[in-house]
Amino acid sequence: MINKILSDIALMSAIGSVLALIMVIAQRWLSNYGEVKVNINGKRELTVKGGNSLLNTLSDQQIFIPSACGGRGSCGACKCKVESGGGPLLPTERPLLSKEEISGNIRLACQVKVKSDIAIEIPESIFNIRRFNSVVEEIIDYTYDIKGITFKLTDGQSIDFKAGQYVQLESQPYEKIKNKVVRAYSISSKPEYKDRIQLIIRQVPDGICSTWVHKHLKVGDKVNFTGPYGDFYLRDTDADILFVAGGSGKAPIKAILEHLKEVGTTRKMTYFFGARSLRDLYLTEDMQALEKVFDQFEYVPVLSHPVAEEHWEGKTGFVMPYFKDAIRDPKHTEAYLCGSPGMISAVTKALKEYGLDEDKIYYDSFG
Amino acid sequence: MAWMKTKSITTVLGDIMKKTPSEKKIQAKMQPGIITYGGFLGTDKRSYLQIIADDEKSLEALGKTAEELADRLEYFQQVSFDSFEAQAVVDDKWEVETEVVRGYLPCPFMHQGMYRKSYTTVKNLQSQKSFTFSSLNIHLIRVHHFFEGRNSHFRLDPAEIVKELF
Repeated sequence: MINKILSDIALMSAIGSVLALIMVIAQRWLSNYGEVKVNINGKRELTVKGGNSLLNTLSDQQIFIPSACGGRGSCGACKCKVESGGGPLLPTERPLLSKEEISGNIRLACQVKVKSDIAIEIPESIFNIRRFNSVVEEIIDYTYDIKGITFKLTDGQSIDFKAGQYVQLESQPYEKIKNKVVRAYSISSKPEYKDRIQLIIRQVPDGICSTWVHKHLKVGDKVNFTGPYGDFYLRDTDADILFVAGGSGKAPIKAILEHLKEVGTTRKMTYFFGARSLRDLYLTEDMQALEKVFDQFEYVPVLSHPVAEEHWEGKTGFVMPYFKDAIRDPKHTEAYLCGSPGMISAVTKALKEYGLDEDKIYYDSFG
Repeated sequence: MAWMKTKSITTVLGDIMKKTPSEKKIQAKMQPGIITYGGFLGTDKRSYLQIIADDEKSLEALGKTAEELADRLEYFQQVSFDSFEAQAVVDDKWEVETEVVRGYLPCPFMHQGMYRKSYTTVKNLQSQKSFTFSSLNIHLIRVHHFFEGRNSHFRLDPAEIVKELF
């Protein structure tokens, strides 16, 4: 009886294997789409080998559309307009697209397969995104769970970015981690450095990339990243500025301030940094040093839960009540926020109540 | 055939026949290093289906449903979000706080969508026992009745949740 069952299983497995082999062979011959043309913004035409996803096809051509999930069709970050040749909308795309996006021919680049000539529209800024090779030059422990890592570009590469933008770092396999993962981190160094960037990276609970950075990355290691991405950057006006950040949200603000130190500014600036307790504060001396550099700059750390033994004499609680003294003309003030969605939401609400225009509140939210 | 001595033939055949390709994919996505550093199964040797089945039995004995537990966790999370993630006391019995970091996690059951990396900690002020869960945990419990495997980073034991958070 047992022998009969096992022989039946063996027979079924053999049939399955043969069918799989036939499918692989068929895929090889039938899925050969040859060369196809990708027209971008009606201005540029690429000739590529068909059969790959649009996301990977563009990536092979050094055109990097942002993607948070590595092309698994689950984040919805790689949206782009497909004017023609994208084939029908797939069930895997529909949940991540709004009705307006669907009617506007927006697709997920990771799900669209390039089988024939295709015409797409992507923002011009994407052409500035490059893949960089680097080595780790310096690692600084800022707090118990935050590190600052400087990556020196190699192979004669240089990077152009706006202070406030971010890159996508590629981790390497380690321990039980078999595959690379890609994670976004804001650049914390000034854009005047063309041959290096610094990132401020917090250890995330059970995080693949942050664990790699915190436990395995060492000076001299080779690391790749793509960028720059994002539209969080300082607007070139003469308005007063409120910076508000928490945790690793200090990174883009640090980049903006270091940039302003290079180019000079007479703008009135106040920087509120929210942290839980004293051990969560970092770069305090650097920020206080900037108070001597700029004519009108104040750094205001605010602790939500200071520990009694730390004898904190600074500001406590939420950051919002302290805005009042910093805003002299709400209609001539811009705000730049970086941190958790809760912080962004609370601060935005408070700023609007103080009279700031919503379109002058710029933010980089973690959520 | 020595290997057959350690497992009954029905168990072996069950292992071979039971898992669909989709279930195998889900089990693979729960391994360490695929979605999270530690994965979703911890040191548990059971399949995720068996973990779900065992936890459903526990819930039945407790007189609660997975949806009720998910609702309860979401209640604490929402109070925390309403307090802008800062520390807040809930109903004079619990202390709640949320930490949000950059990024999102996909569901290992391959549902569409991503779940914010927000980690809410609820502490029972009387027993001082605390539990940390993510937005993904709430989804996994509500939709899949999955509380994760033993010793996984975010395993939530149904009996403990009912005892400490209700």
